[in-house]
Amino acid sequence: MQEITLPQTDARWYQIGFQSAFLLFGTLVLGWQQEWWRLVLIIATCLSVQVFFIWRGLQNLQSFRSALITALGLCLLLRTSEWWVLVLAGAVAISSKFFIKINGKHIFNPANIGIVAAIFFTGKAWISPGQWGSDTLYPISILIAGFIVCYKVKRAQTGFIFLGILFALEFAKRYLFLGWPMDLVLHRFSSGSLLVYALFMITDPMTTPNHKLARMVWATILALLTFILSARYQIYEAPVWALFLLSPFTPLFDKLFQANKFEWKQNTKVKLYETQK
Amino acid sequence: MNGNKTQKLNYMKHKSKFLLFAIFTLLYGSASAFCGFYVAQAGASVFNNKSEVIIVRDGTKQTITMLNDFKGDLKKFAMVIPVPVVLKRNDIRVMEQSLFGTFDNYSAPRMVEYFDQNPCQKWDYESDMYENLKASSRSSMEDKASSVYKREKVTIEAQYTVEEYEIVILSATESGGLEEWLKSNGYAIPENANEVLQPYIKDKMKFFAVKINLEKARQMNRQYLRPIQITFNTPKFMLPIRLGMANSNGEQDLIIYCFTKTGRVEAANYRTIEIPSAKKIPTFVQQNFVQFYKDVFDKNYEKEGKNAVFVEYAWNVSPNWGVKCDPCTGNPPIVQDLINAGVGWIDAQQSYTGNVFFTRLHVRYSREKFPEDLTFIETPNNATYQVRQIITHPATGDFQCKEGITYLQDLRTRRRLELQEMQAMAGWDSDEYPFYVELGDGTKVPVEKEDGQNRNSFPVWFHGNGAPPSWLLPVFLLIAASTIYLIRKWKWRNPISTELR
Repeated sequence: MQEITLPQTDARWYQIGFQSAFLLFGTLVLGWQQEWWRLVLIIATCLSVQVFFIWRGLQNLQSFRSALITALGLCLLLRTSEWWVLVLAGAVAISSKFFIKINGKHIFNPANIGIVAAIFFTGKAWISPGQWGSDTLYPISILIAGFIVCYKVKRAQTGFIFLGILFALEFAKRYLFLGWPMDLVLHRFSSGSLLVYALFMITDPMTTPNHKLARMVWATILALLTFILSARYQIYEAPVWALFLLSPFTPLFDKLFQANKFEWKQNTKVKLYETQK
Repeated sequence: MNGNKTQKLNYMKHKSKFLLFAIFTLLYGSASAFCGFYVAQAGASVFNNKSEVIIVRDGTKQTITMLNDFKGDLKKFAMVIPVPVVLKRNDIRVMEQSLFGTFDNYSAPRMVEYFDQNPCQKWDYESDMYENLKASSRSSMEDKASSVYKREKVTIEAQYTVEEYEIVILSATESGGLEEWLKSNGYAIPENANEVLQPYIKDKMKFFAVKINLEKARQMNRQYLRPIQITFNTPKFMLPIRLGMANSNGEQDLIIYCFTKTGRVEAANYRTIEIPSAKKIPTFVQQNFVQFYKDVFDKNYEKEGKNAVFVEYAWNVSPNWGVKCDPCTGNPPIVQDLINAGVGWIDAQQSYTGNVFFTRLHVRYSREKFPEDLTFIETPNNATYQVRQIITHPATGDFQCKEGITYLQDLRTRRRLELQEMQAMAGWDSDEYPFYVELGDGTKVPVEKEDGQNRNSFPVWFHGNGAPPSWLLPVFLLIAASTIYLIRKWKWRNPISTELR
């Protein structure tokens, strides 16, 4: 019997591919008016901070993929007119992975904390939730792409439970209670920013609870929190704040529901049985 | 053509006479120091079936001034607006129409003109074009004791007479009752208003109902509707547009003048897009810039899928801020205008040093494409913007030099490009203007200069008709997925084969 190694595609490559496609589409077709140097600056900041930590021996070489995902996430969501805010967001995002850790697992989703830092500390950044506009093809495409990535890292439930519960709450409030027509509810949910956020950011396997059941509870709480922040306090960037507020409690979920920490799989071991001659 | 438009065009003609005179003192192309003359504008009055709103947002404090283009018999005028709280008498004011005129003139899409220099001659030029002017007066207010009584599940929370208006603030528990109350009190409510009223009632909104007090109006000799201004506190930064669409499938134009402390206002639930600006267009457009802008707007509205919010102007207009437009189409709003609009954070002594950021938004909405009320975000975006198209007059005189001949050649090329730009922007057929390339309106010349704007930006594709090609998103995603899949397959084959060997 012989054991060989089948290289598996790291799901992060798909995520990088899809996020780049979103960015390309947003910039070229929707005219988000991002100047090219802004995108380069975010990506360069994230990668160089990551390289610094790789050089210090705190991470392996493969980890630059995660840094690229974070950078693309920032490019997709964060808006600012100041270059230094971009640098700050990128630097905070990546270094939070190395400085804010419990039991070897970083607490905050890097892109999330980068956005929070930029909005909260500088007051010079914002998010444009309306930047996608509404078109039926956007939600469908984003959902399919998101499902592929989430499925590969076994985080599909997290994203879809979050979206499902948020939709149920909005449906209950707007359609059942207030009595708005259904197209209003659908319009609220066709926001590309929300879907990209739900399926490409909160589903990060490194910052969600390790146990499957814990993740389901976690996603439910996140959806409730998002709903309360947006409906009660009229905070338009509610999902960002909800994730930021819930993240510190992730270790608690890991304590209550024991499971192995997620590792990015590089290869799969396959046993080959030699045929008798 | 309405009166306003005629006035603007007259003004334009007058201005161009002056400019003809000025030709001989102009130096072409010192774009950094001076960006041309404003020669024409397309203000809000161009659009039919439109209303205008001024929103001033300071924290949660919001002041809304509404101007309706109601054209019928004043007797029949009635307006119902959902508001989040019961307004006090002091929160309601009647303003003068001129306030809107000031803001509109100042922020309207504009056209500027440049003058080429004859390459065979040289001149110098310098100019300053900022002026200040008059304030509009603030109207006084009178009131009537409010009364509260119940009828048909409708509560009259307050009742005021403010100048020529009769104002009632209602709350209701049930839309049928509210509808009945409004109808029996002379408010013409569309047939299916019920389904729109209900969500607002459930959301605990109050209803601000306005009618004309005919007697007062007659005494005051009012022939038109003056804007009503209300102030209240709300965490919701929104504008209820749904009620106005209850009985209409048509399109309505809404011009929103926003003033904030931080920066630009953008829509939270619709795309916010800038109208193409700084485009070089043929000189003859000057004669019909109003129609040109109207066509440009129509084209962009179609192109963006009929559900976008357009920015037409964004600039800090704080009294202590230097340049507020480039060039200005009207007199800058003075402190008193801003205070009248509800900008409460500045004072007449001009001691305030922060921002008064002015964003002009233009929305054309319909029931189908705007299912939800407009909600806004106050962003820290301070980037200035104005809709400003450029015409360049050719140089005059004798071109009997080497440069002169080159100039005339370049002029023809440039004019061809200008015609293309005009066709792309407004849909005007460039084939109808062959004389233009043949230098039909003069025997002059200019050389193209880079405008310097948007040089770092990605080009935005697809300037054609129709909505942005959304089908490209799945195509992009498919390309990404298949690239990764193929790389994976390729990587697969090699290691296995080596290990098995």
